[in-house]
Amino acid sequence: MSAAREQILAAIQAALAPLPQRESRPVVPHGVADAQWLAGEADNAALFTKRATAAGTRVFASPGDCLSWLFENRAAEVYLPDSLRDVTARFAGIVDVVHEYSRAHVDEIDAALTPAAGAIAESGTIILTDESTPDRLAALAPWTHIAVVRKETIHRSIADALAALPDDPNVIWVTGPSKTADVEGILIQGVHGPGVQGCLLV
Amino acid sequence: MPCTIAMAKQLIDTYVAELPPTVQKAVHQSTAATTAKRYQLLGDDFADADALRKLAGSIRQHALEHLDTYLARAEESLTARGAKVHYAVTAEDACRAVTEILQAAGITKVVKSKSMVTEEIHLNDHLAKHGIESVESDLGEYIVQIDGDHPSHIVRPIIHKTRGDIARSFEREGLGDYNDDPETITRRARRFMRGKYLEAGAGITGANFVTADTGRLVLVTNEGNSRFCLAPAKVHIALVGIEKVVPSDSDLAVLLNLLGRSATGQQLTVYTEFINGPRRPDRPSGPEQMHVVFVDNRRTEVLASDCKEILRCIRCGACLNVCPVYRQASGHAYRSVYPGPVGAVLSPLLAGDKFQELADLPKASSLCGACNEVCPVDIPIPDLLLRLRHRAHEEHVPSPGTPPMAGFAILGSHPLVWRSAMTFGAAKDYLPLDKMPVPYLGSWLKTRTLPKWRGGKFRAWMKSRQHS
Repeated sequence: MSAAREQILAAIQAALAPLPQRESRPVVPHGVADAQWLAGEADNAALFTKRATAAGTRVFASPGDCLSWLFENRAAEVYLPDSLRDVTARFAGIVDVVHEYSRAHVDEIDAALTPAAGAIAESGTIILTDESTPDRLAALAPWTHIAVVRKETIHRSIADALAALPDDPNVIWVTGPSKTADVEGILIQGVHGPGVQGCLLV
Repeated sequence: MPCTIAMAKQLIDTYVAELPPTVQKAVHQSTAATTAKRYQLLGDDFADADALRKLAGSIRQHALEHLDTYLARAEESLTARGAKVHYAVTAEDACRAVTEILQAAGITKVVKSKSMVTEEIHLNDHLAKHGIESVESDLGEYIVQIDGDHPSHIVRPIIHKTRGDIARSFEREGLGDYNDDPETITRRARRFMRGKYLEAGAGITGANFVTADTGRLVLVTNEGNSRFCLAPAKVHIALVGIEKVVPSDSDLAVLLNLLGRSATGQQLTVYTEFINGPRRPDRPSGPEQMHVVFVDNRRTEVLASDCKEILRCIRCGACLNVCPVYRQASGHAYRSVYPGPVGAVLSPLLAGDKFQELADLPKASSLCGACNEVCPVDIPIPDLLLRLRHRAHEEHVPSPGTPPMAGFAILGSHPLVWRSAMTFGAAKDYLPLDKMPVPYLGSWLKTRTLPKWRGGKFRAWMKSRQHS
């Protein structure tokens, strides 16, 4: 195994040795790949809402809006981790709530709310981490996933979010619902992950 | 829009001739639509998208020309975070590394997320031989797998299949009665795949990028399948071509902003995942073990060649979508894992001593340059195609379908012969050229008309300018 390592590194060095000079590291100014319209947007939360909506994410401006939507869409069983109790105190009387996520009942949960680690305004992206997410499956398996994003955690640009990537073995950016166009290029949502991706801004 | 290939046939032409017109139309329409979306989005979002492409190219070229440093640094970063790093020189070594990891963990069922390098090393065949069930979880790749087929596009593996084909395959596999509604097909795959995710012991993925400084593997999907492969499973194995390494997270700002837009006309792919280690012990889900297998499989040979720029490729498929040859021929005509312009360069290079078998691919191009213009990392594909044509010539690879150019070479290198040809060439206007037994000329003229002879006019014009 380490023989393979040495062999590959030696082959790389042999391949590069004849180069008269090697390409120097280019200067990558921060924000060089920002969308050009980003400069004209003043409010992160408003931009996030606009971009997330354009990407197919349903944005709720208040816990009440979120609750009404869950009720109207007959979400029978909703997973709410304890860490969200302050946001979702009123939910329990209106929809059936479970506080423990059980792998044995993956398909019985209609909707799950989980805390997000942040968001990106430029692309309308939700940021989830292992640290913020109670269970990777909870944010992925239910038909409806609603990430709870605190407005002060919204990054302005993709570059800002990359510069602030948390020290977590698993960070995932979610920009809209799970989708495919594999069958004749026709867009279908909800392939493996959520068919409805929501975001509750608080 | 089938185009009549009137010249004597190159190998790729026989595939074009056999391609059903419905498939050709579907490939043409969807590649043209994606190309248009890409163009629109880049124009809307960037004042100078071209400068950004060139910057991305320079980031990738720098990484390749310092790969010894960055690969070792990526290994160090991953190891420090609890991942185990393996190296594989050949395809067989890579497959063996995977089975050894699985056998050591007692795993017999795995789920896979789409990865070109695993196609390249034929991992699924190898796992099947060792009694390990491996299920492709990307919808398109799953259909390719159950059909015993091959992907025909880097991003859209079943661009060559109709909903009817898929419905018949699903019926055959017992996923339900014949139903060709795309939504029903997708729901059935969802239900089937759920069971597979939950029972799999390991999730196998590739990686779009690896950052040396932090060891982050970046995985992008639209379906969310890679995330699902890495939620219930105990072991994560990532197979990564050694060329995927970039220096740091900040370089990703340029690369990710170009990847989604180039591949599918999206600002970002739906799921962009950054992984640099096994899950922490206090978390309820995620693999306890993370293995990264860095695969060479002749990449170091490509790095040593005069075509090393092709290793910049980030597998977006934009060059396939824009290519007039790919649009006519579809992916299987390239007879290898990587189709289209990138494949015409990469496939012969990765073929090793079987170079000759694929040496015709670099000629399946009009050198129009569109592939270079859309490439998010500015790979000079037409130049590389010419270098490979030269190599094929040097290695005396037979070249059917290429008109003999020796006559033109004499004309072009002897001014006296050229001048008299310019004078006497006018005779051609009076000859029945289409009936003459000159190779290739008759078939060429079937669909084209030669203009009236104007030979020598430019020389006369030049001369008149010099005198005045």
